[in-house]
Amino acid sequence: MARPSLFGLLLIAPALAMIGVLFLYPLGFSLASAFTGPDGAPSLESFRKAYELYSTDILFTLFIVIVSTALTGLFSIAIAGILTLSETPWLVAVLRSLYRWPLFIPFIVAAQCMRTFLAKNGLMNNTFVALGLMEPIQATSLLDWRGIIVTFVWKQVPFVTLMLAGAMASIDRATVEAGRNLGASRLRVLIELVLPQVAQTLLVGLVLSFVTMLSVLSVPMMVAGSQPTMLTVDMAFRINSYGDYATANALGVISYVIAGTVAWIYLRHNVKREVQA
Amino acid sequence: MRRALYAAGFAALLMTGAASAQTLNVATAGDQNMVDYIKDYLGPLFEKQHPGVKVVAVGTGPGDGGSQKIFEKLEAQSKAGAPADFDVVVIHQKAAGTMVQSNLLKKYRDDLPTGKLVTRDTATNSLGTDVSGYVMPMFHSQTAIAYNPDLIKDPPNSYAELREWVKKNPKQFGYNGIKGGMSGVAFVTGWVAAFGGDAAKLEKGPYDAAQKATWEKALADLKEFNRNVVITPGNAGTLDMLNRGEIAMGPVWVDMFYTWKAEGKLPPNMRLKLVSPGMPGQPMYYAIPAKTAHEKLAAEFVALATSPDVQAEGIVKRFNWYPGIDAKNLEGKLDQAVWNQLFADIPPDALSANGKPFPISPYFNDILEAYEKKVAN
Repeated sequence: MARPSLFGLLLIAPALAMIGVLFLYPLGFSLASAFTGPDGAPSLESFRKAYELYSTDILFTLFIVIVSTALTGLFSIAIAGILTLSETPWLVAVLRSLYRWPLFIPFIVAAQCMRTFLAKNGLMNNTFVALGLMEPIQATSLLDWRGIIVTFVWKQVPFVTLMLAGAMASIDRATVEAGRNLGASRLRVLIELVLPQVAQTLLVGLVLSFVTMLSVLSVPMMVAGSQPTMLTVDMAFRINSYGDYATANALGVISYVIAGTVAWIYLRHNVKREVQA
Repeated sequence: MRRALYAAGFAALLMTGAASAQTLNVATAGDQNMVDYIKDYLGPLFEKQHPGVKVVAVGTGPGDGGSQKIFEKLEAQSKAGAPADFDVVVIHQKAAGTMVQSNLLKKYRDDLPTGKLVTRDTATNSLGTDVSGYVMPMFHSQTAIAYNPDLIKDPPNSYAELREWVKKNPKQFGYNGIKGGMSGVAFVTGWVAAFGGDAAKLEKGPYDAAQKATWEKALADLKEFNRNVVITPGNAGTLDMLNRGEIAMGPVWVDMFYTWKAEGKLPPNMRLKLVSPGMPGQPMYYAIPAKTAHEKLAAEFVALATSPDVQAEGIVKRFNWYPGIDAKNLEGKLDQAVWNQLFADIPPDALSANGKPFPISPYFNDILEAYEKKVAN
């Protein structure tokens, strides 16, 4: 193995310094602050407070993010599967030109769109009423946890699909053809032949989506009311209303733990594969 | 050759910048409308009176969070021994108390020509902290219940009647909780004042931590009440839902309500009601940081901003806010129609009877936290 050259180290120094100053230092600072009591001694007081005030919100956040990730996975598999295996050219063409659009829309704009789209007398319900599919009295507002999930899934599906469709396109077509020739349905080919070959990519996409959704502030703030709400909103509230960085940091640490758990599952899976290989 | 020209031009630009160095930095907490007010109206007016001076407005965001940012910056600069970046700040009540206690503000009101025009006690007392001399109210804002008279012929007169009404009309009342803006916070503190025992003590103190225990019942009732209401996303969210007919009633800021109505974002028939025993309102303050470099200019700026003419034209006419100085100084400056509109649904006697201040800071924080613990969690 070659020794690291001084020149190489110099080249990456600016990037390392950036990570150190802009990420590692604040991370360490917020970790320390979360575990420090008001008197400066180490304490779990902030976590007690976070639990006392926000235990419902922690569960709510987990629920939203897990459900959104699962739905994102399902839709992505469906779309990528159709793009790869479908024998209806027009469907593939339409889907291919449509599915990427939400990628280019920022979360905050998506949230604002959903606010007018999903409201009780919003665009969606009004359309259903105008089409005669629904009576005005049956209209309900989706601007609560359902609205958050719809927005998240709508935003993240194209991202995962993009990765997944790419992976599916690059697998060996012969396996698919063989399956079809032996009489397997397209659904069976998708689930039993294609998916196992792209599972790794799917997992990466879903882990990244999970972490992204965990950290979005604008969507829960704009789409749904504040009870219960996601941890990002609580953190913002803690800082804005009380200047209470300790509890906000404790909530941040809880988010790290949630994101870390997912990353750990992913890493473990990876290691297992490498050991097998 | 061309590069030399550019360089010369750039140098000239720098020098003109240095020659007219009189820049007055005004930092405002609050929504974008506050920044626009300084940028489009007050700034140009002041620049006309003081040739060579440039007014720069910076917004730090809505709600107490905006004021918190100003506080953090001033505190950091004060600790570093550096002069303050801001010459005039526009802040909320909670931060004003903290800033006075941390010696970050100048005591300037007594020398201000308009200082004597203020009569409301918010000019001396900010959520329980004595701020006399340090702040000058810019305007007063009030919360009230907005309702749709097409759906409600006979709006409730008190919190108790409202509670009964909500029981009979589930999901017709909406408010934004406490994380989505101050109108929801106002509604909740009003609720605790109405059902939680000693309202006068909440506003005047002295602080007694044991008081919290008397709110138990009120907050349990509020949790029950919340089952039949809609939690809206924010101050604007409540107005949005009123506009779309999704709720029939909800607490709003009076100024925002009239502004939306004037812009056609609310049906013209919508009305307001200030229920008893009262809902809170709050001023925003002009204050001058202790370490500003432009002390005299800053004081002149605040004097202009709180002069009767500007209060009439800028505050009442443009924003439907109640003036920061005593309203009797505005007589003759406004036509009767504008004045009447502001008091159409909430007559002056109702405002003085039911327009309350927010509770003193420690109670205020306790109420918010008790709400998070008992109602939201």
